Amino acid sequence: MPLNKVKPMDKLAKQLHDDAQRIDVSVTDELERRIEASLRAVTPELDERGPAPVSRPPLFWWASTITGVAAAVAVIAIVNWRTPDQPTPPPVNVVAAIPSVDLKAETAMLTGPLQRELDRLQSDLKKAEEQVKQEIGL
Amino acid sequence: MSDELKLIAAAKAGSADAFADLVRAYRVRLLRFLLTRSPSYADAEDVLQDTLVAAFRYLHSYDPRWRFSTWLYRIAIRNAARLRGPELVEIGDLRDEENDPLQQCIADSETDNLWVNARELLNDEVYAAMWLRYAEDMSVNDIAKALDRSASWTKVNLMRGRRVLETQLNNAAQQSEAYG
Repeated sequence: MPLNKVKPMDKLAKQLHDDAQRIDVSVTDELERRIEASLRAVTPELDERGPAPVSRPPLFWWASTITGVAAAVAVIAIVNWRTPDQPTPPPVNVVAAIPSVDLKAETAMLTGPLQRELDRLQSDLKKAEEQVKQEIGL
Repeated sequence: MSDELKLIAAAKAGSADAFADLVRAYRVRLLRFLLTRSPSYADAEDVLQDTLVAAFRYLHSYDPRWRFSTWLYRIAIRNAARLRGPELVEIGDLRDEENDPLQQCIADSETDNLWVNARELLNDEVYAAMWLRYAEDMSVNDIAKALDRSASWTKVNLMRGRRVLETQLNNAAQQSEAYG
């Protein structure tokens, strides 16, 4: 171990890293055989949760978006292209469609009493004229 | 798909050969870690074997969002903890000083090894966190996952562990200067 005063943490980190590498270990042939034999004796458990969801790269997202937009544009184009072939319905006469109201009858109902009053007044006027003519001896 | 993911897929399908290839690069690293936490070299080898067998058996539970090494270390740490038994004594209490596997593995080294000091000064979890950080270059988040701890706990204890070791190194340096 270096005996100089240690101050920077980087130096400590480097020494820890180097000292770890100085620990001399090796996997012996016997241990390797043991490990391989025990691995072959093991059957990995199956995932009961089913396959994990696959994370798609962003390229897939763009590709699916572009495909969707292209499909929408194609549908719109086809619909608009077929529209002239369709028989156009005749224009609807809105005025004719609305049921007409008998305005004359309504007018007669409103002016009927006035007309009768006018007739009575004219009759009274004619009678008064004849009475005057008799009194003056015409 | 990376080679590691291909091997994982093949191993999940039941291929022991694929799994053996998958863990080949990790065996020495795991053994190095385990023997610093085991009473003897034979115990470290047994824990390594148990770890790899458990990893193969339960490979379906591996979440690909984790690094494979993180998942493997998590199993190894749990298996090593079983050596301590239900009393959860520190691993140092079980160690036979004459047959200390770490001392045996650094016997040829010309310098002292800081991990010997770390093992004496730190508790098992902090020691493991320090090992994963500085020997395995794991991120704080991966260490937290491997130890089943929060990232905050991991950061704090890494800092404490470094402080303890730094103090130890400084004291050793001062003693050396004092004795010429």
